[in-house]
Amino acid sequence: MAEKAILYDATKCTACRACQVACKQWNDLPGELTTNRGTYENPPDLSENTWLKISFTEVGETPDNFRWLFARRACMHCTDAACVEVCPTKALYHHELGFVAYKRDLCSGCGYCVEACPFDVPRSGGGGGGKVHGVRTMSKCIFCEDRITNGEEPACVKTCPTGALTYGDRSDLLAEGQARVASLKSTYPNAYLYGEKELNGLHVLYVLDDTPEVYGLPVNPKVPIAATVWQDVLQPIGWGAAGLVALGLGLNYVVARRKIKINSEEE
Amino acid sequence: METVERKPKSTPILHYVFGAPPVPGEDVVERYSKPVRILHWVNAVAWIVLFITGLLFFVPQFGGGAVGGWSGLFHRIAAVVMVGWAALYFIASPRSALSGVREAFKWGKDDIGWLQAAPAYYMLGGEDTMPPQGHMNTGQKLWWLTVLGAGSLMIITGALMWFFKDIIPSGAFMWSAFFHDVGFIALLTFALVHVYLSVFHPKMRGIFWSMWGGKVSAEYAESHHKKWYDKVTKGEGS
Amino acid sequence: MTNHWIDIRNSDCIMIIGSNAAENHPISFKWVTKAKERGAKLISVDPRFTRTSSKADIYAPMRSGCDITFIGGMIRWILNDMQTSSPAERAKKYNMTYMTQYTNAALIINDGFKGWKESGAAGMFIGYKQNTEPAPGKIGSYDKSTWKYANTTNPNVDAALVNNTWTGWSELNPKCVLRLLWENYKDFTLDKVEEVTGCPKDIFLKVCQTYAATGAPGKAGTIMYAMGTTQHTYGTQNIRGYAIMQLLLGNIGVAGGGINALRGTSNVQGSTDMCLLAHILPGYLSMVNHTDQTLTDYINRAKGAKFPVTPEGLEGDKSASWWWLSDEAQNYKKYMVSLLKAWWMENATAGNDFAFDYLPKVTKGHDYTHIGTFESMAKGIVKGMMVWGQNPAVGGPDSQGERHAMDNLDWLLVSDLFETETAAFWKRPDPESTDSTRRIDSSNIKTEVFLLPAACSYEKQGSISNSGRWAQWRYKAVKPIGEAKPDLAIMDALVLKLKEKYAGESGPKADPINKLFWDYHMTGEYADEADPNEVAMEIHGYNVVDKSPVKNFVSLKTDGSTCSGNWLYSGMFTTDGRNRAKDRDPVDASLNQIGLYSNWSWCWPINRRIIYNRASVDFDGQPWDSDHPVIQRSNGSWLGDIPDGGWPAINEAAPGAKYLPFIMQTEGVAHIWGPGRAEGPFPVAYEPWESPIHTNLVTGVTNGDLTGKGTPGFNNPCCYVGDLEGWNKKGGPDEFPCVGMTYRVTEMWQAGQMTRNHPWLNELQPEVFAELGPELAAEKGIKNGDKVKVSTARGYVLAVAIVTPRFHRMTIGGRKVDSVGVPWHYGFVGRSSAFHSSGNILTPHVGDANTTIPEYKTFLCNIEKV
Repeated sequence: MAEKAILYDATKCTACRACQVACKQWNDLPGELTTNRGTYENPPDLSENTWLKISFTEVGETPDNFRWLFARRACMHCTDAACVEVCPTKALYHHELGFVAYKRDLCSGCGYCVEACPFDVPRSGGGGGGKVHGVRTMSKCIFCEDRITNGEEPACVKTCPTGALTYGDRSDLLAEGQARVASLKSTYPNAYLYGEKELNGLHVLYVLDDTPEVYGLPVNPKVPIAATVWQDVLQPIGWGAAGLVALGLGLNYVVARRKIKINSEEE
Repeated sequence: METVERKPKSTPILHYVFGAPPVPGEDVVERYSKPVRILHWVNAVAWIVLFITGLLFFVPQFGGGAVGGWSGLFHRIAAVVMVGWAALYFIASPRSALSGVREAFKWGKDDIGWLQAAPAYYMLGGEDTMPPQGHMNTGQKLWWLTVLGAGSLMIITGALMWFFKDIIPSGAFMWSAFFHDVGFIALLTFALVHVYLSVFHPKMRGIFWSMWGGKVSAEYAESHHKKWYDKVTKGEGS
Repeated sequence: MTNHWIDIRNSDCIMIIGSNAAENHPISFKWVTKAKERGAKLISVDPRFTRTSSKADIYAPMRSGCDITFIGGMIRWILNDMQTSSPAERAKKYNMTYMTQYTNAALIINDGFKGWKESGAAGMFIGYKQNTEPAPGKIGSYDKSTWKYANTTNPNVDAALVNNTWTGWSELNPKCVLRLLWENYKDFTLDKVEEVTGCPKDIFLKVCQTYAATGAPGKAGTIMYAMGTTQHTYGTQNIRGYAIMQLLLGNIGVAGGGINALRGTSNVQGSTDMCLLAHILPGYLSMVNHTDQTLTDYINRAKGAKFPVTPEGLEGDKSASWWWLSDEAQNYKKYMVSLLKAWWMENATAGNDFAFDYLPKVTKGHDYTHIGTFESMAKGIVKGMMVWGQNPAVGGPDSQGERHAMDNLDWLLVSDLFETETAAFWKRPDPESTDSTRRIDSSNIKTEVFLLPAACSYEKQGSISNSGRWAQWRYKAVKPIGEAKPDLAIMDALVLKLKEKYAGESGPKADPINKLFWDYHMTGEYADEADPNEVAMEIHGYNVVDKSPVKNFVSLKTDGSTCSGNWLYSGMFTTDGRNRAKDRDPVDASLNQIGLYSNWSWCWPINRRIIYNRASVDFDGQPWDSDHPVIQRSNGSWLGDIPDGGWPAINEAAPGAKYLPFIMQTEGVAHIWGPGRAEGPFPVAYEPWESPIHTNLVTGVTNGDLTGKGTPGFNNPCCYVGDLEGWNKKGGPDEFPCVGMTYRVTEMWQAGQMTRNHPWLNELQPEVFAELGPELAAEKGIKNGDKVKVSTARGYVLAVAIVTPRFHRMTIGGRKVDSVGVPWHYGFVGRSSAFHSSGNILTPHVGDANTTIPEYKTFLCNIEKV
């Protein structure tokens, strides 16, 4: 099945935040109590009730070289997803359409995904649990799985007025993104398609007219080594070690019993 | 030197599994005091709970069991019990606690000898090359070191992950998880050996009861821990 | 709008000025984005770098209130470019045919007219007199008797201009409109523009070059504007500047061009079309005043204003002047009589002047606008007020003054979805000003307040007319909650109750109500309340005898056989009764698919999507822009949009029937010279009522009246400043050195009744803020996020400071000028958090000379940390 993706074109985004509201509306998430901290950006961070937000960055001096840059911030739906790697209950997994899907009723609230994500996206606190008892389930963008598996676009894409957000087959959006970046390069030599190669390909692609750093995106994000070593190296070692020991002890029992029996009979 | 007076309360089935305790009339020596035995069993239960609930957390194949938060809750309760009981024991009798810890670090010539003789001894029952051992034989010292070392690692990394998750950087959390897993593997594999040797090994049958009733037969003490036996029988304490 | 929303995508250059379309008309940016994808350039002109500016190719900073100078500079640049180019070059860069043949650029004005530099009164045209009576609070007015063409029946043209043979200004008749235009604007050099507006020369030059390039035949530029343009004491002249520039560039009537007002609410276009304004009747008919004693008086007044005046010497030799058209047609009378019939039906007959006497009449010269009304309320003249879906306690200027004026009301009706500040005016927090006369004393407020719950737009049926004049029918999706009702149902109940109360009485007060035609109850859902479908049909119009729908406004009659509630909407129904506002055909069948979507809903007039479209073709009826043809003459008929007058193309038509394209003007050509406005036929660069500088850098007039009404020539000499004692405290630049302005954000809407009660929107923009530049912040010790107090002579607002380079310091006439901006959405009821001061506490109760729209966008303020 063709993998899907979302293309976010930062050069068309006007930071109207209709996407933030559409996401809350579709997923029945409450509004948070906020204050103005000297910026239009709100809420201050992703949370169990905010799965998508737009960041505002001011660069330069008016009037000549000032730029006001906006960037989408939500789950990047990585191909090499650190969260999927570390999730012990497989509540997080890759959907056949390519995005990172999530079953909240399998989440044990362990929080490994929150720590492992190179984009710092998952947030715990859902489910109502506390520090000792109960489960604080994770929350993040779920790619509107219920919409796209019924032939609709994600809520954020549907509502975006300028077409900064589009949805479709990843291969199509890659081509579109590349074409767009190519046309931007003459005025913006640092234009870049983020998500093409990062983490073996993200399912949220970004057309940027500047470097990822300027937009606050991590350059060359990686699955943390600790996660890889832990899951891909240590787990097999653990099984191996336990298996060997069990085997060894079993062998010892058989041999030693016989030997010692023989000895005591000889005595 | 005592003799066992009462008929033990154990039953034939238990004897089949755990070996036989010292028979009535046999000469016995007290090997483990009551506080120590209670500490051991509190730990054993706690560790079993920790192992099982930890397995559900860590190993994807058993992940389904972690859903709902109960395994997490019991893991934490067991961790608190384990650390708490050890702390209480230390506060109640700091001297015996410390001397118990020191045992693991007292290594000598006979320990090297043990290492050389162990394969033949444990596999084939050959006693000739096995030098006399103290209260703890070398293997038990190794186990004790593992418990102290890996145990501390588990407690520290566990505390970081439980209480300081929101404060420490993600990298620190991930590595804590990694080393918690390392400690788990080390402790699990060694614990399997410990249980095997305490319960099943033909040469150690019946020693299980020394941790239950506290007494070990004089014969066993002399044959397996001669240096300690000699000290005790000479009245110099255990 | 002359054009419509989708048409924006056809533009080659979009100038967004006096508007922050990306934030406040976010859906419009879909079309701006599509235009940019085709290579169009976007220019954002704004005192502040906004989310619109973030997408612009050129951002041009401009001090608030300097549109006339800014556009004037562009006009001067274009005129200079025209004059210094050879005739052949000029014709390639600009559509000289359009300018000379379709506008009044070449017409000759009478000798007695004198511009603002020669009239003897600096900054004023000839004919000015300052008001000495305590009449409606305008500073003064003009005797416009010299503001006419030299020949008022058939104006002459300048042949050299029309034939494009001229090379210097001196070759043109000194009273030729284009030459007068040059005289009006010739001082607006790049240096002058920078000095007055603060826009750096190099940026301004780029703006001129980029935008003027749309003057070439086949290219189109569009201006998107909103309240930043209109909400000034000379707002109308701001727009006049746009109109002049667009006409010089041939951008009216063509695809991708136009003067496009972005309306502030989804149906304000509908409300102005239906005349919910003090100076017009439905369809923009003139309001009846006390000098119109009979219908004939009224019609004669209209005829005098609207009789066709065809210029002599142009290819087109006939002006439609559609308001009148001819003494046989008398369109104005058709519309008025049909309106009167709609209102009084069988009680309006030829015998009683079609019930003309029943129409309430205003006192000529009195100001009945929002500002005038609140002044009357403060004086105790207006005793009761009905407020429908509006929140003047937050949205009106000088909030504390207006709230205080409401204390005098005997009764107040508010119909809204939530309790608003207006409904709760009597329990408002103590005014944030030092004016002791405005202290609130609830025990002395005797107003009886009725709060009626209203249905929202998804809970009722009806049409909404968007900025593009499209009337789209909307349906009821859910039932209103509780006892909430649609406005129409509430009004219906009120009128029926009034009729009940007056039944049995007679006389001039009772008759208009008793004899009012009011029968909108149908069956089913609308058995007990008014059916909007019936109202719509009445607005469209029908033959009174058999109720058969008329075809459109051409079929309306002067003899009382037709009725129509609004001639402009006549044509909305088909003759077999289909409501075209309900049409939803998504196929674009326009020529070259320029996005007309003529079968998606219906627009006025008669579904003409781009008005003045006869200007988009040459004398043979062929489009100037063959890639984006609006209409095209072919085989004796017109293809494309509904042509603006179905007559043949000029070269095809018989002499005496060569209709000129601007059919609503008396001369048939567009007004570069526009004598209809109060303060001048051309814009003059006046300073706002509260200005940061002492001398007008263009007119040279010094601001002599620092705390009083205003100085003619420094300020707009005809603007409305009010005549109420205690109102309009004016601040001077020493105490209030910063230029203040109010504006909106995407996340909040209007006076906030709906959005401040919504958790998702409160989350995005929880409280009122004040934006200021880093230089000002450093001087005042204000850091980003600090609590600040913004004050004017009217009052103060507490806000959170947003310190940003988007609002940088300007140099105006050698003086450092800082700006401070505050959104005006907030108030003291609703669910938003800590800070809720209404931005309009700061604004002055003064207004435009023609519309009295308040000057919300420029005033003087100070800011300090609290």
